[in-house]
Amino acid sequence: MASPAIDNISADLIWEVVRNNNSFLTKSKRNGGVQFSRDPLNLINKNTRKHAGFVNDKAIGVVRNEKGFTVITKKPSAPTKPKEAFLKSEHSGNNSSRKAYKSVANQTAKNGYRPDLREAAVQRVSAIRQSQRPVKPEPETKLRGKRAQKAKEAESA
Amino acid sequence: MVSAKKHVPIVKKRTKRFARHQSDRFMRVDPSWRKPKGIDSRVRRRFRGTQAMPSIGYGTNKKTRYMMPSGHKAFLVNNTKDVELLLMHNRTYAAEYDHPLVPRKEGKQQELANMDPRIAHGVSSRKRVDIIARAKQLGVKVTNSKAKVTTEV
Repeated sequence: MASPAIDNISADLIWEVVRNNNSFLTKSKRNGGVQFSRDPLNLINKNTRKHAGFVNDKAIGVVRNEKGFTVITKKPSAPTKPKEAFLKSEHSGNNSSRKAYKSVANQTAKNGYRPDLREAAVQRVSAIRQSQRPVKPEPETKLRGKRAQKAKEAESA
Repeated sequence: MVSAKKHVPIVKKRTKRFARHQSDRFMRVDPSWRKPKGIDSRVRRRFRGTQAMPSIGYGTNKKTRYMMPSGHKAFLVNNTKDVELLLMHNRTYAAEYDHPLVPRKEGKQQELANMDPRIAHGVSSRKRVDIIARAKQLGVKVTNSKAKVTTEV
């Protein structure tokens, strides 16, 4: 986790300093130079001002854990004390999806965090839960052309 | 794997390369494009029947630029952590590692079929298996999922 903002420095200033180079940033030169962010407080992994949780005073992140996900929230009251500044609440995968979304939504928008992050937070929870489901096996591919012919011959012989 | 987001149809306005003027007449003139600068050049003055010159009008629609026919954009991946970046983007980006192609084995092929990022060419086959498995959980497509992990029977 990034060091939280220092009292007398604004988040905007920090952002201007670190937006082009920070430890979370991944840059790619291909395909229009997409930039992603590994910041755990970034809900959509994009390197943008709105989603740069390590810069903002108040931020929310959703990280997967073994069975479910952990919601991390950053409090503005203790910017120089990482242990106090970051609240972690774990959610197990057993809850119904709707309950999980609801609790995350309540933790964010209702608690005075940017309301426009709520949708992203819920989406991320949804994506994480989806990724924790067992993977469906691929359907068997049918043989075609010469291979199919060969298989047929082998069967009849 | 999730299919890509709906998008406007991809239009390639021109697929031919622009050849340098008179590169067809002289061995010593390379076909790579150079803008004609001569005061009398008919190509530069865009006379009828002369070669077309590249111009901004041939540019691809911004919405479909860099897009593969599947509707994804490629994102180069070196390890499973990189794949996780695409968690929220599995409908826009596909991972990939460079350098495709090595012979393949059928059994494996089946379980690995449907991915969409791309993995970098220096990634070993052992790690590729991890990357592909993770991508599958995240619903991320791997463009070159068959490279190096499969062998010919």
